Amino acid sequence: MGVLELHAAWFSALGEPLGDGEREDVAAYLAGLGLAPRLPLLAVQSWSQAAGVIRSPAGDWWQAEEAERARLEAQARLDPADAQWLALTETLHGAAAVAAARAGCADPALIRAAAGSAIYAAHQCRLACAVRKPESHPFVRKHALFAGGRWPLGVYDGRFAIY
Amino acid sequence: MSYPEVKTVEDLARQPAEYQEAVRKIVRSHALNELYGAQVFDEPAIGLAPTPYAKWLTCRVAMEEYAHHVRFKELADKIGVAPEEYDTRNKKPLSIFAFPLKSWEEFCVIKMVADLAEILQVEDLLHCSFVPLRNLARTTMPEEKFHAQFGLDFCTDLVKTPEGRRKVQDALERYFPGLPAFFGAAGSKNNETFRRFGLKLRKNEDMREDYLVRAQGVLEKLGLRMPEVALPEAA
Repeated sequence: MGVLELHAAWFSALGEPLGDGEREDVAAYLAGLGLAPRLPLLAVQSWSQAAGVIRSPAGDWWQAEEAERARLEAQARLDPADAQWLALTETLHGAAAVAAARAGCADPALIRAAAGSAIYAAHQCRLACAVRKPESHPFVRKHALFAGGRWPLGVYDGRFAIY
Repeated sequence: MSYPEVKTVEDLARQPAEYQEAVRKIVRSHALNELYGAQVFDEPAIGLAPTPYAKWLTCRVAMEEYAHHVRFKELADKIGVAPEEYDTRNKKPLSIFAFPLKSWEEFCVIKMVADLAEILQVEDLLHCSFVPLRNLARTTMPEEKFHAQFGLDFCTDLVKTPEGRRKVQDALERYFPGLPAFFGAAGSKNNETFRRFGLKLRKNEDMREDYLVRAQGVLEKLGLRMPEVALPEAA
């Protein structure tokens, strides 16, 4: 799986104060997508708050991610039915479910959405690695936030939301 | 008298050739169709979903569908199905996969009604005489139920507005008429063989009838009209 870590701290630092290194990862992610790197941060504090935030329409940040994903997929195509990859997706789902249960959240759809966001980020990071992008690439920086236990939610109303 | 349980892949090799081939047909069909569904509906739907919540949830569902394919593929490999037999590049898809997906509303309708059809197919394997296949069906079932619920939940939200209701009904009109054929022909010889060996429980026509009743119940709850359907000809 290359850069992807099976035993990373997935979803284990939700709601904790952000460190300086994490703020730098957010800035590098935004700058790498061509967005303002020092957007105000929205520090999400609960699963229910996260659920409300991500039900807003996908904005420019999503389009910027998709454009970059399309550029990378023009150079590398990954097999979504690869057994090792699917094992990682199960791990991510399990980690999201454990974190949600610890916080008293039992919403299976929200847990799947959290898992899906980590899966999407892991896929994007695999693509970046497959075409030998540097560690400063926005998909690698976003993946680093996930691997450190965060759930980066995206840009909403001019703020970068992160749980 | 029911067919005795066949507990392992090794035991399968000691069954009549007709039994072995019947098992292969069922496993091959599931391996192929789970892959088709993920490729032509679930993965492209991520791009159609309106919010990050819907996109990420769809992404997870797509991965679950791919994982279903892999589980059936692994069993297919163990029981001697050649990989090219469940390769979507070599096999013509069922008509329900030929639908050209273009909108989020269409995808939600597909999850609501096609995954309900899949639930019935998997239900029929929950007491299958070939235990590895039975256990695979039991493992898969909770996720199949979630996928149908996913479709129902999003359709429930969509029909709250007149425009959303119109789009959902329109998608239903164009997609649903192809679904009854998913259950196969009445009087099917394959199905007779599957039932004789205790691999499946019900006739195709009985499953189709049950499906139409259940689908009617789901659609009625949302105030949607079930499109008219033409039943497939008998075998």
